[in-house]
Formats: sequence, C-alpha cells, structure tokens
Amino acid sequence: MKIEKLTKIINLSTQLAISDFKLKNEGSFFGLLWYVFNPILLFTLLYFVFRNNLGNDIHYYSLYLLLGILMYNFFQSVTSESTRTIISENNHLIKSINFPRESLIIAIVLKNIFSHIIEIFLFGILLIYFGLNFLNLFFYILILFLFCLFLIGISLILSSLTVYFTDLDNVWNFLTRLLLFVTPIFYVIENNQTLLYVNYLNPLYYYIEIARDVIIYNRFPETNMIIGSLCFSLIFFAIGQIIFRKYNKKIAELI
Amino acid sequence: MIRIKVKNLNKKFKIGFSKNESFLSRIINFILIKEDKKELQVLKDISLEINSGEYVGIIGKNGSGKSTLLRVISGIYKNYTGEVETDGKIISLINIGSGFKYRLTMKENIYLVCSLFGLTHKEIEKNFNSIVEFSELQNYVNTKMFQFSSGMIQRLAFSIAINSYPEILILDEVFEVGDNSFKKKSREKIKELTNKNVTVLLVTHEVEILSNLCNRIIWMNKGMIKEDGDPGEIISQYS
Repeated sequence: MKIEKLTKIINLSTQLAISDFKLKNEGSFFGLLWYVFNPILLFTLLYFVFRNNLGNDIHYYSLYLLLGILMYNFFQSVTSESTRTIISENNHLIKSINFPRESLIIAIVLKNIFSHIIEIFLFGILLIYFGLNFLNLFFYILILFLFCLFLIGISLILSSLTVYFTDLDNVWNFLTRLLLFVTPIFYVIENNQTLLYVNYLNPLYYYIEIARDVIIYNRFPETNMIIGSLCFSLIFFAIGQIIFRKYNKKIAELI
Repeated sequence: MIRIKVKNLNKKFKIGFSKNESFLSRIINFILIKEDKKELQVLKDISLEINSGEYVGIIGKNGSGKSTLLRVISGIYKNYTGEVETDGKIISLINIGSGFKYRLTMKENIYLVCSLFGLTHKEIEKNFNSIVEFSELQNYVNTKMFQFSSGMIQRLAFSIAINSYPEILILDEVFEVGDNSFKKKSREKIKELTNKNVTVLLVTHEVEILSNLCNRIIWMNKGMIKEDGDPGEIISQYS
C-alpha cells in the first residue's frame, strides 16, 4: 500500500473517530467525566460482588478479574460496533462518496482505544494501591498494539460479512457472550484440560494472559503465549485485509 | 487532457437478491442452492472520453443508468467489466447531505465531510473560510445542523463540494440549490471552475440548465448512449 493512501486513511479515520466521539458525548450531562465514572463504577461493583466469596485461591484476584474484563470490554465494543457500521450507520455515505472504507473500522478502534486507555490508567492507580509496580503498564503498549491488529482484522472480516448476513450482529452478540465464559476471565484455567485446549484456539486468551503476566505478576510471559498472540494478530490482520478487499468491490451495490 | 476514459463498460446488477436475508435463510439457500437471481444489465457497452474543462450534462429517463454511470466513474461501484480510468481528484455530490452528522455543529461537519473528500487537516483549515463565506452561513458556524433548514443543508453541501479542490466534479440532480441569488452565484462559480480546467459531470432534468451551461450532452437510454454531442440538437430531440 502506498504511503499516501495510508496517511489518507489515518487522517480520515481520526476525523471520523473525533466526530463519533463528539456525537456519543453530545448533550450528556457529565460529558467526558463518564469515561472516568464508568470504570470506577465497574471497579466498585466488582469489588463488592467478589469481595468474600470467589477467587480466594487466585493471587490478586480483583486485579486479575478487572484486567480481563477491561480487555474483554474493549474487544466486545469494537467488534459489535463494526457489525453495524457498514449496513446500518454509514450506508448512505458509502453510496454517495468514494472514500477508503477501511477508515470506518479503524475509526471504531481509535474511538474505543481512547476510553480503554483511560480505564487502563485508572487500573494503574489501583496497581499502586495494591503496592505493585505500575511501570509494567508501559509494556502494555506493545500488547495493545498486537491486540489492535487482531481487532482491526476481525472487525474487517465481520463488517464485510454483515453485508451478506444481515443478522450477523445477533449471532455475534451470542458468540461474544460465549467467549466471555470460555475465556478465563473470572476463573483460572490450568486445572481444566478440555477448556485449556479450547482456549488454545481462542485469541483473546493469549492477549489477556500475557497482559496479566506482565502487569500483575511481574513476570515474562511464556514463549508459546507470545508466539501465539503474534500469530493471531498477523493472521487475522492479513485475512481481514484480504476479505475486506474482496468484498469491498461489491459493498456499495448490496446495501 | 483526458480526464475520464471509459471503454466498453458493462455493469450488471443481480436482482431478486433479497437484501434483508437472515443468517439462517442464507445458509438454507446455500445448502439447497435454490436462489433465483436475475441479472439486470444497467450499463451496456459504454465508451466515452471526457476532457478537462468540459461541462457535460447527462440526460435520460429514470432508470436509464445515469446515476449508475456516475457511481462507476466516481469509484463507488467497483464491480464492473470494461475499463474506467480517471485522472484527477473526484468530488461527488450524489445524495446531497449524506456525509453530515446532524447532531454535530456546522464547523465539525465541514471538517468531517472535507476529510471524506480526502482533504488534509491543513487544507481544510485553509479552505474553511471560503466554504463558510460561499454558503453565506457565517452566523451559524457553531449551530448544530439538525436545526438547519433543508435549503441551508444543501447550500452547505454544495459549498463544501466546490471548495474541496475538485478536478472532476460530479453532481447528481443537485445542481440548483438555494434561492435565486445562490443559484446565480453557484453557476458563476462552476463556470469559473471549468475555466480552470475542472471537468463537470451533471445529471439533471432541467432543460434550461442543460442548454445554457453545458457544452456537451450525453443522452442515455436503456443503459446505452443514444446521443453524444452538441447541446442544441440533442435537447430539441429529447424534449
């Protein structure tokens, strides 16, 4: 891809993300403060729910749980938005202006990254409260980069498939809920062989586990986890590009 | 200089492809291989060349393929057979106001739509004043657009399009917007653009515009070019 086209895509994606961001906060009473309130409310809720009963055998269970949930939420909101963006939110736009349509997807990722980073920042404060080394969060930038490649890839796939399967958003809603329980977010997986094998095929597992290892447990992640996450990022990103490019030809006349 | 070169362009639509099919019925259809698809040929073997500075009007009945041709040229429909080459930046105004987000202010919308047309942030800043000035909406820059009247929306869309450095300007039945003085002004502006070698492609049904402004008319009928040439004769045949 030419540099010129790439900068064009990035320019447009940023502008789309800014507009979407403004739209989302338009007229809300607390405005930007919601981006701080939401995670704090979530923290408090989780704290009270899981205070005594669960997760006693997991070290730093509250942090373990929270990081998993934050990353899952990021994944969930990006993918579910991308099942809607082409067919219901921007169909008129696509039919009247020729612009690089990948930007719609990248804009979704950019918009959600903003709130995700605020959440991770607040998570850093919690780390300090628990007396852990918050400098480990800087490694999260690398993980986030790989995670975003994966997200862009899967969103490109989803958004091009929605053109053919109109109710993919419902199917996807179910699948993400399934993922919430299959991925070790609430529990530890090591004791359960079947689930472990299932999770070797689950990209989310890799990113979440690596992030936990690095940030909470202050240790270098296992090599196979690193290789796995790299592979998932690159494979999904590449397949996403191929599928999107193929269907992009027909999108305008099918919506 | 040749701006648009179309050679043996054919465009088909598959119809009977019901758009809102659900996941389940798609799978069932896929397994049973039972889907009926009819092909509708919208454009048949179209060849044309358009030079820079030409002001081309396209006429024809509804369903004769005018809008499809415009969409193929502007690159929105990418699935066709034949060759389409364009040289220069295309600004298309096909459904007026479709890039706008009505809950945002006019200023935010100008930035949004200009970036959709491929302008960089700097270029937009430079252009901003001329867009606002041309649309005569100086007092509403920070007003949210859902409060705009439809005339104001059209005027803004038009101002953005002609101030985004077009080299090929594509207008689908959106030429005459606003009140009389605005119409007059936009005519002059487009004339000025064509003098600067901008190519204008225009679909309209208003004979008066065609005969006064265009220097070439393409008459389309059932997906084919019926006549192509000097306005005077074609218009008298058409009407």
